[in-house]
Amino acid sequence: MDVFGSFTLLLAFVCAVYALFGGIGAIFTRHPLLVKSTRQAGMATCVLIFIATFSLEYLLFTDNFSQAYVVSHSNRDLSAFYKVAALWSGQEGSLLFWSFLLSIYVISVLIAYRNKNGELMPYVGVVLAGVQTFFLVLNNFVESPFKTLAAMNASGVMEPFARMDGNGLNPLLQYPEMVIHPPNLYSGYTGFTVPFAFALAALLARYPGEKWIHLTRKWTMIAWCFQSVGILLGAHWAYAVLGWGGYWGWDPVENASLLPWLTGTAFLHSVMMQEKRGMMKVWNVWLVFCTFLLCILGTFLTRSGIVSSVHAFANSHIGPWFVGFLGLTLIVCFVAYVKNRDYLKSENQLDSMISRESSFLFNNLLFLVACIAVLSGTLFPVISEGLSGSRISVGAPFFNKIMIPVGLAILFLTGVGPLLAWRKTSGESLRRNFGWPVIVGLLGGVAAYLMGYRDTFSIICLILCGFVFWTIVTEFYRGAKVISARTGMSMMMGAHELAMRNTRRYGGYVVHFGMVLVFIGLAGSAFNKDVQRPMNLGESMKLGPYTLVLQSADTKPEQNYTAQRMIVEVLKDNKQLMMLYPEKRQFQGAEQASGTMVAIYSTLREDVYVVFAGMDPDTSLPVIHAFLNPLVKWIWLGGVWVVMGTLLALMPNRRPQLATALAPQTVASPIAQALNPSVTLREGHD
Amino acid sequence: MINRRHIAPLLLIVGFAVLPLVAQSQADRVKEVGGKFLCMCNCGQILTQCNHVGCTMSASMLKELGVMVSRGDSEDKITQAFVQEFGTTVYAEPPKSGFSLVAWLMPVFYFLVGAAIVVFFIMKWRRQAPAPAAVAPAGVHISPEAYERARSQADRDTED
Repeated sequence: MDVFGSFTLLLAFVCAVYALFGGIGAIFTRHPLLVKSTRQAGMATCVLIFIATFSLEYLLFTDNFSQAYVVSHSNRDLSAFYKVAALWSGQEGSLLFWSFLLSIYVISVLIAYRNKNGELMPYVGVVLAGVQTFFLVLNNFVESPFKTLAAMNASGVMEPFARMDGNGLNPLLQYPEMVIHPPNLYSGYTGFTVPFAFALAALLARYPGEKWIHLTRKWTMIAWCFQSVGILLGAHWAYAVLGWGGYWGWDPVENASLLPWLTGTAFLHSVMMQEKRGMMKVWNVWLVFCTFLLCILGTFLTRSGIVSSVHAFANSHIGPWFVGFLGLTLIVCFVAYVKNRDYLKSENQLDSMISRESSFLFNNLLFLVACIAVLSGTLFPVISEGLSGSRISVGAPFFNKIMIPVGLAILFLTGVGPLLAWRKTSGESLRRNFGWPVIVGLLGGVAAYLMGYRDTFSIICLILCGFVFWTIVTEFYRGAKVISARTGMSMMMGAHELAMRNTRRYGGYVVHFGMVLVFIGLAGSAFNKDVQRPMNLGESMKLGPYTLVLQSADTKPEQNYTAQRMIVEVLKDNKQLMMLYPEKRQFQGAEQASGTMVAIYSTLREDVYVVFAGMDPDTSLPVIHAFLNPLVKWIWLGGVWVVMGTLLALMPNRRPQLATALAPQTVASPIAQALNPSVTLREGHD
Repeated sequence: MINRRHIAPLLLIVGFAVLPLVAQSQADRVKEVGGKFLCMCNCGQILTQCNHVGCTMSASMLKELGVMVSRGDSEDKITQAFVQEFGTTVYAEPPKSGFSLVAWLMPVFYFLVGAAIVVFFIMKWRRQAPAPAAVAPAGVHISPEAYERARSQADRDTED
């Protein structure tokens, strides 16, 4: 199976090279057969990569310990669930998994648009094949997952051999979220290849109209959604497994995942300027390019060992390949832009400083500043070492100080944007629209203060959350009221109908609501408390309003590890709330690694987070480290709303039947019909 | 007058009452000062937050910090000692002096330059905007093309 897998990967590489160079030929010759054959080569590449990926999974599931990758990342006792995850736990496998996910996108694009956008698709196919070729070079010639173990025999000849068992999967990865977090994050990273391909293709082909921007936006939203989910799942994994009481440590690998998310978010906002006003075309194209380049840069940071991180893969010689690919991509983008920049001529006109357009410009500014600040902070240790000779670390306190004000400014604009009209907003409209949201925001701040929250940034954050929340409520209320008045529907049904008529707009508001919940959760982190001490059985300790009693301890043998478990009772006002079971796990396998499992009692108000931090070396008593983390659950709930909002935004708009039917009776004059949004016959873009 | 015999027990009682407070304030100081350093086990975490399994550094670093705090060393002195022992990678955030100041100034620089660019473009694009058209008198005929243009403009302007 290893030879078969290796062969299919090689064949996939050949097909990808053909799709790339044949595709370039097809663009120049316009020969229909060549166009068709290169498209089919692109599809064959994907199918071959699928087969190679399943071959590696087969080797993992059949415990084929003659394979170096299987030995390094699996063992006999590893459950089937984690044998799936072993595919992306190592450098070679994860690069193959990257190609696998990219192939899902590529084959979807090639099938979905096989009879559409005839002028654009050969270019898209070439760009996608180019990216696939790069990863297949890595899969085949740099980090092959199909390497057989071999040792030199007595006569000096290399002979294959098999081990009895493997080293096992990294304990940190043996957690359910690690089975879904990397696929989501990688789907985000790889997904940004599609908008990149469409943007570059449109520029190269000088594709007329704005169709490409609609296609790009849709695929960006899909990739963005995966990236968001991936980031949040990663944060939850860090929270529940690493045992330090937090969910985001501004680790270089975490930062790497945030960078394309920030530029992708900026693009999803600024693209509206292009669609509505024909503005910022150059900016949008470069945002898409940068998002893709940041995905590659992030992968480079994770895998090259240039920055140190607990999440990073083992150091390898893969770095120069990524640098080369980054450089080549940048050159291609730059040349394409310089040659075709007149194609991106915009109709940049701004009627007023106080308008939706201005708010988008500032929104983009903040996202870009956030992105560059995170990038330069992440690379500063390397830069400082290169320039001054001493490596200066940049940890979480630096990023918190920089990013909290930027984050709050973005949150402020999240509320302001929807209240401003396109083109120009009058003073009267400002007063009317801002009044209640500001009052609700201030009330939120007062409520937070009365509840004992005293941190300045947290209070500001909660005020802004109230402000943004009310702008969203107002948007839904106004629209639902009109629909309800015209159709007799209830307000709830009216709100539903409203959202379905303009899914993109109201899906966007749902995403904003999700972000409000995330920010509420982040505001809580200023009030975290913790206590740590060795405890005797039956002993208790206070943590805020809770009492933790160490009731007993036991040892629980499982299939792949043995857990040493503390049984901690959580009491509040002398009433039992819950039993928590923080664990330390000793894993089987050659490396005998150990891991921790945090126990959490989670409510909307706060989390009681208990870690079994090991045995005290002086007293030999178990050390319990307990945290009281307010509002953390809101972050995960926010993530759910973000996903729901994105899915809503991806749905096609429902046509308003009523408006069409009533139009002849209600419309007084053609110009009134034209300018009255409630009687337009066409809504939405798609 | 306090009897001499009572002084020793009194001191003992005061000692027992004060000792936990001293210990608490020392623990708080360890937490505060320790928050300014990274654990040197290469995990990238703050020293006082690093408790991951198998960490070879945090316990000894915290012990060392505890000794320095109980000795009453100033924060500067503790920082100096840690930097001397572990190098500049021990800082949790770059110091606001020397070359490290660049790290702090960069985001401010980005923001200022970015804001200047945005304001420049806003001014430029405002100048490019056409003057508002005069309002047509009532009853004036509107051509189908103008009507269609107005309608599609209204469509676009009210979508998002």
